[in-house]
Amino acid sequence: MNEQAGPGPVIEIRDLEVSRGGSRVLDRLSLSVAAGETYALLGGNGSGKSTTLATLLGLLRPDGGHINVAGADPAAEPEAARRQIAYLPENVALYEQLSAYENIAYFMALAGAEPDAMRMDEALDAAGLQPEARERRVGSYSKGMRQKVAIAMAVLRDVPVLLLDEPTSGLDPRATADFNQLVTRLKQRGTGILMVTHDLLGAADCADRIGFLAQGRIVEEIVPSAGMDVLALHHRYTEAAAA
Amino acid sequence: MAIWLHELKLFLRQRMALPLLLLTLAVASSAVVAGVAEVSRQHDVIERIQPQQAEDEAAVAAFVTVSGDPGSAAYYTFHATWDEPSPLAFAALGQRDVAPYVLRVRALSLESQIHEGENYNAETALPGRFDWAFVLIYLAPLFLIALLHDLRSGEREAGRMAMIQSMVRSERSLWLRRVAWRVGLTYLALSTPFAIGAAIMAAPASEVLAMLGLAALYVLFWAVLALLVARLKFGSVTNAASLAATWLVLTLVLPGLALLAINAAIPVRQGVELTLAQRELVHAGWDRPKEETMQDFFQVHPEWRDTPPVGLGFHYKWYYAFQHMGDVGVAEQTTAYRAGLEARDGWTRRIGYLLPAVGVQVGLHRLAETDLAAQMAYQDRIRAFHDRLRTFYYPYVFNDVTFTMDDFARAPRWGQTTTGDPS
Repeated sequence: MNEQAGPGPVIEIRDLEVSRGGSRVLDRLSLSVAAGETYALLGGNGSGKSTTLATLLGLLRPDGGHINVAGADPAAEPEAARRQIAYLPENVALYEQLSAYENIAYFMALAGAEPDAMRMDEALDAAGLQPEARERRVGSYSKGMRQKVAIAMAVLRDVPVLLLDEPTSGLDPRATADFNQLVTRLKQRGTGILMVTHDLLGAADCADRIGFLAQGRIVEEIVPSAGMDVLALHHRYTEAAAA
Repeated sequence: MAIWLHELKLFLRQRMALPLLLLTLAVASSAVVAGVAEVSRQHDVIERIQPQQAEDEAAVAAFVTVSGDPGSAAYYTFHATWDEPSPLAFAALGQRDVAPYVLRVRALSLESQIHEGENYNAETALPGRFDWAFVLIYLAPLFLIALLHDLRSGEREAGRMAMIQSMVRSERSLWLRRVAWRVGLTYLALSTPFAIGAAIMAAPASEVLAMLGLAALYVLFWAVLALLVARLKFGSVTNAASLAATWLVLTLVLPGLALLAINAAIPVRQGVELTLAQRELVHAGWDRPKEETMQDFFQVHPEWRDTPPVGLGFHYKWYYAFQHMGDVGVAEQTTAYRAGLEARDGWTRRIGYLLPAVGVQVGLHRLAETDLAAQMAYQDRIRAFHDRLRTFYYPYVFNDVTFTMDDFARAPRWGQTTTGDPS
């Protein structure tokens, strides 16, 4: 369980406005993610999903509104905010000439940590990467294996916030199921997870709440329930996208 | 500290990093080896001169002392002069590959003797020498461009940038570390062979440090330029193309255009033209009335006016008089020629403040004493030595003093500061 996460939301966005290339991408977006909660943000292309993540990482400056990531404002103190975040891009790109161990050691050193071999193995075990693959250069890894390395880093960093960008796109059903299990484990550790995705099924399977993003704002938010009609969900999603 | 070692490991694992560093080291080492070999060859040539000079003098003395004719002694004796390479010449050969560093002179007219040696071998003059300065000025920027052009763009294109940015504590420190390893190791690959060469040649520490400092500034200039281009957020290919074009403009095109402009703005006659002008004056001396030549000579050297007059036949005092008047006749041209060369050199130095490649080249050649100033200083020493030769031979020639074996031994020697005097 990470120590940074206190009571209340680990991500809080209120009336966020962000422009890119002269046009408004996020228009008074508001959402919050609590510690130990998974929030799936669904939206079509250009709806503002990636912009939301980039703003949370402090890579884009908002025009207005308020953001808080585990006590830090990414707009004012981006490096402090990033120390609270583990981020998995859609395609986890690692240093192909390094092994899983070496990649983890390098990225953790960037974050100011020096995990020993035992801790790395524990994290890789938690992420489900086969021991025999860990010494191999990651150039030979599949997308799922790379994601496991990145998840291991998130486990090691023990940060209160995990941002996932299209995490299951391109994964086969088995790898998707493995990934969802990993997310569940992280959630159980108290990590607040914000996932942007097109994958309705995956979102319904592992998210506590789903927000439909269209034209830069949440147009509908639902709480998935057991036995929920995915077709109905799909219908709402396309309606939200059309709106 | 650990993060520095992680960065080093990451850098050295890159596909092109180690081969490029090894190539830099190999090229710099080859240039130093070539420079040390060339300087050693020049030292050997200079060392070989002295016994050959003694042998030559002995041969001349053997037949001249039979007659004791001082004019023949002065005419047939060649006196070797040489310009020892400085300990750092191996690193920047400069003018030493085309300008003569050994010149045998006689007490005849001097300027043609000096400038006859300026007929360069076009085959060696065109490409220039492959020395350490060449590697630093022309090749090192290319190695740096290869290592730095994709510093940031490479991470963006590989899709790692967002993940790096999300994890790194200080992005500025990250790029600083990466640049430091790339630039530092390239500089090490360049400077280590140079430092070994300097130790072999026993170069003074202060000058070695000055050269290393100049090299460090030049390497830093290219590193900063690469970082500025990287900030424009172009792709790696565009970065590489932009930097390569900048290299082409800064090291080849602009210096070439500047050279053309300087040569056009400051026309300087070739040294060989000076030689021809003097030859014509000297050859015309054969046809002038002896008395006219002698009167002209006495204007310059009144101390010999009261010596016995020359007769109708050949006499060496007349011969040396018109030889000397050949030098006097082209004195203005000699001064103008030198002033023109120095003016061009001055403008080249000024352009060096604008074009780093030119500035570093000028600085390295100055430190290595292989520039125009060093060449001119050698010519000045030859002129001073030639004056000593004339001062030594004239009393024998103008007073008709018999030249003996002892007089040969007392003749001025290059590098000696005093000489015997028959008067």
